[in-house]
Formats: sequence, C-alpha cells, structure tokens
Amino acid sequence: MAELEGEAGADVAVETRTDQAGATIVKLSGELDSANAGALDASLAPLTRDGSAQLIFDLSGLRFMDSAGIAVLLGVAAKVAVVRLRDPSPPVRRVIELTGLSAVLPIEL
Amino acid sequence: MTLERPSRAGVIALILGLVVTAALTLTALALYDRNETRLLKLSALELGSLLSAAVPTVQTPLASAAELADATGGDAQKFRAFMAPYVGTGRQFQSASLWRLDNAHPSPTAVIGAPPVLASLPQQARQFFGHTKGSSLLSVTGILGSSTPALGYLYTTPGVKNGFAAYAEGLLPKSRRSRIASGSGFSDLNYALYLGHSRSRADLLLTSLRQFPITGRQASDVVPFGDSAFTLVITPRESLGGAFFQSLPWIIAGVGVLLTLAAALVTDRLARRRRHAEQLAVDLDRVATENQRMYTQQRGIAQTLQHALLPDALPELEGVRVSAHYVPAASGIDVGGDWYDVVKVDDHGVLLLIGDVSGHGLRAAITMASLRHAALAYAVQDSAPATVLTKLSDFVDSGEHDYFATVLCALIDVQGHTVTVASAGHMAPLLIDGDDGRYVEFQVDVPIGVAREADYHEAVVRVPSYATLVAFTDGLVERRGEVLDVGLERLRDAATGTDLPLDELLSGLAHDLASAEHHDDTALVGIQWQN
Repeated sequence: MAELEGEAGADVAVETRTDQAGATIVKLSGELDSANAGALDASLAPLTRDGSAQLIFDLSGLRFMDSAGIAVLLGVAAKVAVVRLRDPSPPVRRVIELTGLSAVLPIEL
Repeated sequence: MTLERPSRAGVIALILGLVVTAALTLTALALYDRNETRLLKLSALELGSLLSAAVPTVQTPLASAAELADATGGDAQKFRAFMAPYVGTGRQFQSASLWRLDNAHPSPTAVIGAPPVLASLPQQARQFFGHTKGSSLLSVTGILGSSTPALGYLYTTPGVKNGFAAYAEGLLPKSRRSRIASGSGFSDLNYALYLGHSRSRADLLLTSLRQFPITGRQASDVVPFGDSAFTLVITPRESLGGAFFQSLPWIIAGVGVLLTLAAALVTDRLARRRRHAEQLAVDLDRVATENQRMYTQQRGIAQTLQHALLPDALPELEGVRVSAHYVPAASGIDVGGDWYDVVKVDDHGVLLLIGDVSGHGLRAAITMASLRHAALAYAVQDSAPATVLTKLSDFVDSGEHDYFATVLCALIDVQGHTVTVASAGHMAPLLIDGDDGRYVEFQVDVPIGVAREADYHEAVVRVPSYATLVAFTDGLVERRGEVLDVGLERLRDAATGTDLPLDELLSGLAHDLASAEHHDDTALVGIQWQN
C-alpha cells in the first residue's frame, strides 16, 4: 500500500489487486484533492500502460474527492476500455452526479 | 579532508590549556625541587651526625694511650701492648706512635704498626708539634705524603708538662675514591669529605665522585673534629623522592598537553559545526527569500496572463445588470483554468459562458484561452447552448489532449424572462428570487474532452421578475472533507435574503465563501433582472 502525501497534508492510499474475472481493482482510501491528485496520477500510470481491459476503482474508503480527483479518474478512463466505480461514499457520488460523469464513469450497482 | 583555518574558540582552548598545563608543570617542578632540596639537607645532617659519632673512636684510644704514657713515664712496652688492638690492616689506624713533647726535634719514642709518615717529614712534624703545643684534646695533621697519603691524629693530655703525646695515622685511598655501600641508607647519594672548612681538592679526604667541581643540587654539613673539622658535601645520584615524583611534572605536562589538544580539537569541531549551522541558516534564509521572490514573480505572471484572458468589459443591456468576479487561488503559483464570458447576442439576449479547465498553471490558462475563443466563435454562428457545447466537444476531441473542462452555457432572453441552459459537467447556476433560492434543475452532461460524440441537452427555465442568476466555478463551494451539497447549501444561504446590489453581492460571496485554504481559483458571474 502506497501513501501519497499531498502538500497540504491530505493523503490518499492506493491498493491494487486483480480479481477472479481478471479485472484490476484499485482501492483508493483517504482524501483525494488537488494537493495529491498529481501524485496519484503518476502512481496509476503503470496500470494504464499495461492496457488492462477492465479497471474498477473501489471508492468505499475515499472520504472526499474534488474536481482534481475527477480529472485523475477521467484520465484513466480515457486510456482503459472499461472503467467502473465501486461503492463511492455519498460525497464522492455527489461530485460524480453533479459533473454529469455517470455516463463516462459508471457506478456499479 | 581539507585544511581549514582553525576556529577562534579552538585556538583559545589550546592556549588556555597550554597555559594551565605549563603552570601545573612548573608548580610540580618547584614542589619537586623544594622536596628534593629538603630531603638532601636532611641526609646531610644525618650523615654529619653519623660522622660526629665516629670522633670518639679515634679520640678515646689515643687519650687513654697518652694518659698511660704519662703515668708510666713513656713505657714503650706498655704503649705498644695497649695500642695493638687498634692498629693494623682493617683497623682504625695504620700506625700508632708515642712522642715526647719537650723534644725540639720531635721523633717517636715507641712505634707500633707501619712507621709514621710524619716521622719522615721533619719539617712538617716540627710545625705540627709547635702548633699543637699547649693545646688540648685532639689535633689533626693535614694530609701527609703523596705516594701513601695518610691523615694523622695527635692527642695530648691537658695540663701535663713535658708529657707524652699519642699519635696515630690512618691511610687514605690514593685516589680518595670510596663508594658508599649499595645496601646502606645513603646509597642514592654521592659525597665528598674535606678536611677543614675549605672545599679545595688538596683537602679532599674521601669521595664517591669522579668529576669535580660538584655541580647541581647539593647540601653540606660541617662536623667538628678535634681542632679541625670535616666538611661533608653530598649530591643526589638520583631522585631522593623516588622516580615517580621526579617524572610527575613531566607526566602532568604530557597528560596536560594531550588533554589540551583533545579539548582544542573538540572545541574547534564544535565551533566549526556551529559556524556551519549558522552559515546554513543564512543560506536557507537567502534561498527562502529568493524562493519567495520567484514565487511572487511567477504568481504575478500567471495571474496577469489570466486577467488578460478574461473579458475587459461586460455588455450593458437594458433590463439586466451583468457583473462578474474573479478570485485567484489563495496560494500556490498555479492559477486555475477558470474563465467566464458574457457576450451580447442581439438586443434582447446575452450568452453567458463559464468554465473550468482541469489542472493548474500556465497550461491550464492556455487551454482555457483556446476553449474560450473557440466557444465565442461557435456562439456567433449559433447561440443555442447545446449546440455551442457540442461543437466545443468536437473541437477538443479533434486534437491530442490530456485535460477536460466543465462548461456552463446559458442563453438569456432578457425581455422573455427565460434562460436556456446546457452544461458540460458544470454545476448548475443558482436562481435567487428574494428570500427564495434554488439551483436550476436540468440534465448535466459529460465534461468537454471526456467522451467522443457527446450529446448535450438544453433546458429552458423561467425567471421571475427581479430575480438574479449566479453561475460559479467549484472553488466557491468545494471544501476538503465536505459533501458538495453542504457547500451548495452554504452558497444558497449566503446569497438569498439580501437586497445588495449585484456587484456587492458577488464580491461578498467571493470574499465569504472562497475558502482561504483552497487551492482553487473561483469565478462568479451574475445576471440581475431590473424588472
């Protein structure tokens, strides 16, 4: 598990595994904002290079995400065939809804 | 390792340490010296008293022999018999003889042992007897002879006229050299024993020394012996107080110098570290100042650029007031990619555009500029909001890019009191009607640059009289660790129930809500109906 420390002290933890179906699961925990989005983006670069067919962001542990975090998810979505979001917390779900991103970043039911 | 100039503290420690060491060494030397001199004096006195104790061993047999001779009228037989135990090799005397005192040419009347050296020296014998006549007790000749040097002792009984004198001689070693036995208490001393009070070589009786004159530390004692005296001079062969006390000053000096060197080195090192630390602090301070200057400069450049990209003036239309407010990010050299535009479409309508390009800094500002100009160009062709957004989406899609942008596009019909609105991922505007405020409800579509061939939908909203429409970017409502709805609610509360002029309303909202901690910049645009 990698801890990404942002300049303002917010931190986001990243944990990556592959499930039985072959999808890559990226679990994000903590807070994701403009202070640490850049670092997260860099740490996700290897995943998108490998070109996994399916990538699931497990957002159950993510307490907060702002538009910079959305930008990171969108950046990944642009390079991977299928990206889905799993179990976002209410604040995160709201950001996705308000920015009209449900179509691009579908939330698993 | 490079050689550096030693620190002042190190040099001071070195000098202080050496001074203290020198003082201690000198004190120890002085104490040692005093102690040695004292011990030597004590030894001289002790040897002197030993010597005094030897006087009777010479005087007593001679006194007895003289009295015997006086009583027996100079009986040679009796004299020889009496003196026999004292004369011979290994005994007190080498020779003993009896002399008549009234003889003008003195010669022995009875002799036991070797013939007296004095008898072969008539000149000296005459002087000696002339000198001693009338005197009492023990007289001592000078050193007699040279081939077999001897010392003579003469005893005359006091008060007896024309009596006899008992005379004895002891041989002296020809070289005068005689060592003190190594086992004795004085084996650590050299000595010289003189006859009389002088210290001339001619009067030297015995010595353990090879070299004269005697130099260095010495002590002397004078022991009376008959009508003469012995002068004893001693000098130490080695330290009397022991080797340890002799080396103590040098031990102190050596240890002191070592400790001083160590202390000076440690002090020097500490002083250097402090100097380095101080230098480092100065350097850091300079770097910080320089950073601050560069930061201010870069921030200034980016902000100037952004302000240059934002519209200089907003259109003026009958029936509405138009106002906008831009707040740069609270900190960081990065400026955001927020922008807005309000353009006149015809006499009745304006098109309001507000957007936010993802990312920060110069790149975001440049992207923002290209999006803004593209949007203005599309608006001139067809001002329908959904059409503008669709074209903008196609425009972005046609090029390589790694950003996205949220854009709100609203066509305002001033006289018709309607707003036609479409959004590419941007937050809905707030419609304020007196004490009532609500966010315009319509379908928000995906941001620009996210999906190919995105569809954008528009909605028409009715606007009440004197209502105010406020469009904004997320810096106004987004706070870390907070659900977005809380921020939206805060904005609605702050914006409703006031009758402030539009300018003041917007600057007040910007001031109160754009959080100081936030890294994002914020733009607000407001349209206020005058009827």
